[in-house]
Amino acid sequence: MENIKNENEVEIQVKDLDLWYGENHALKEVSIGISKNGVTAFIGPSGCGKSTFLRCLNRMNDLIKSCRIEGQIFERSKNIYENDVDVVELRKRVGMVFQKPNPFPMSIYDNIAYGPRIHGVDKKEIDGIVKQALHSSALWDEVSDRLDSSALDLSGGQQQRLCIARTLAVKPDIILFDEPCSALDPISTNKIEELIMDLKKDYTIVIVTHNMQQAARISDYTAFFLNGEIIEFGETKQIFENPQEKGTEDYITGRFG
Amino acid sequence: MLKMRYKENAIETLLFLASAVTVLILFLLCIFLFREGISLFHEVSFIDFITGTAWYPTADPHKFGLLPLLFGSLIVTAGAIIISVPLGIACAVYISELATPRVAEILKPFIEILAGIPSVVYGFFGLVVLVPRLQNFLNLSTGQTALTGSVMLAVMALPTIISISEDAISSIPSYIKEGSLALGATKWQTIYKVLLPAAISGISAAVMLGMGRAIGETMTVMMVTGNSAVIPGFPSGILEPVRTMTATIALEMGEVPQGSEHFHALFAISSVLFIMTFLINLIADFIKKKYRFKEAI
Repeated sequence: MENIKNENEVEIQVKDLDLWYGENHALKEVSIGISKNGVTAFIGPSGCGKSTFLRCLNRMNDLIKSCRIEGQIFERSKNIYENDVDVVELRKRVGMVFQKPNPFPMSIYDNIAYGPRIHGVDKKEIDGIVKQALHSSALWDEVSDRLDSSALDLSGGQQQRLCIARTLAVKPDIILFDEPCSALDPISTNKIEELIMDLKKDYTIVIVTHNMQQAARISDYTAFFLNGEIIEFGETKQIFENPQEKGTEDYITGRFG
Repeated sequence: MLKMRYKENAIETLLFLASAVTVLILFLLCIFLFREGISLFHEVSFIDFITGTAWYPTADPHKFGLLPLLFGSLIVTAGAIIISVPLGIACAVYISELATPRVAEILKPFIEILAGIPSVVYGFFGLVVLVPRLQNFLNLSTGQTALTGSVMLAVMALPTIISISEDAISSIPSYIKEGSLALGATKWQTIYKVLLPAAISGISAAVMLGMGRAIGETMTVMMVTGNSAVIPGFPSGILEPVRTMTATIALEMGEVPQGSEHFHALFAISSVLFIMTFLINLIADFIKKKYRFKEAI
């Protein structure tokens, strides 16, 4: 695995994370270290808790009233579940791309400028940020002549890349992808995958996916989730070629899931 | 099987007729209203009616000038909208975004009750409670003013504005909201910069419908606005008595001989009112359709 640099540098360290939705114990003692500038994939059957876990990393689960969390998640050696953590600051640093493309009902330009604007970036800089974000998300050539048209007129794949551009515009360190291709056709999926491979140079990427080939193609590390637990976590190659756990093997070979 | 088909067809025809009746009624209403209204212009010129600044239907000679009544209606409605729109939108935002489900469940029925109160009760309340207090508080010669009407109409338009705005805000998919929060936006930034702009079509429609309700309201304004048919000054007129188009029709219709000039003049006013509310509803509908929130995929 030559492409993993800084192998020992851990960006996110999760220790004994438990999560309940009301009475439902959805995550059980999850511990994992996520490497900097790599792609870490979470795989597992529906309802195994992989998306729930992803949403812990930028505290999106705060929005769910019945959700209760115990344990620690260290990012930059600070536990993000401490009381004094600024969630706004956290989410600025940990961007998220959702399952369904969710551009705001405004122009392409305004979609990307939204983040910098709310964070008080100087107006003069915004043009440059928008342009750069569109370049980084490989969308510039397709939309440069119609930045003022509605983002909703773009195709699904373009919308998703716009959402990635929007996330890049706030200059995060980490980007979380929650099944970003599940609503897209194969060609769009391919483009997003190439983009993710490209982005990992500069960002730490965590991706939840239903698609095991996708995990195998783009990730450096893979964690297999089942019933709210991490069954196995390791280098992607090892997980797919030589799984240590029976459950992982069964899932990967398509015996269930 | 054939019998079944006949039955299906019969039911379909029946339902079609039922819906056709509503269109027919509207159509007949239109014809009748305009026919009676246009009769006025055999005797009074259309320009005199539209631009006339005096309404003296029983003086000699008669004066059938629309403007005092039109401006009466407009100033009362404008006042009502200025009061009810910010309040209504604030309420809708609170219910859809900020209130806990339990508080929202308690609030909503109360707002619906507000819509169910008969207008004469609002008028009575305004007359007995609001009029004297406004008179004392602002030291006016009479508390029966355009402002009194506006306040009462604002309360009456609130349920419409709140419930339609709230629908519009709630109908924005939650993933749009999450997208904003995930970029590090605060709750308020999300409401102000994403949700409200996304819901603007529904909110505009709500405002238009609230306006339609206010301009067409009769009993309440008749009871609290003093009914003096003079062109209100602006903005001082808001604290003076005015007479609206609706109140004029309601007050005078009972006393006019059928077929007289005065009778036709009241129908001409009705026609104007009809056209105005029709246009308002049309605009509301247009906004709703044109800017309806499009699904992301």
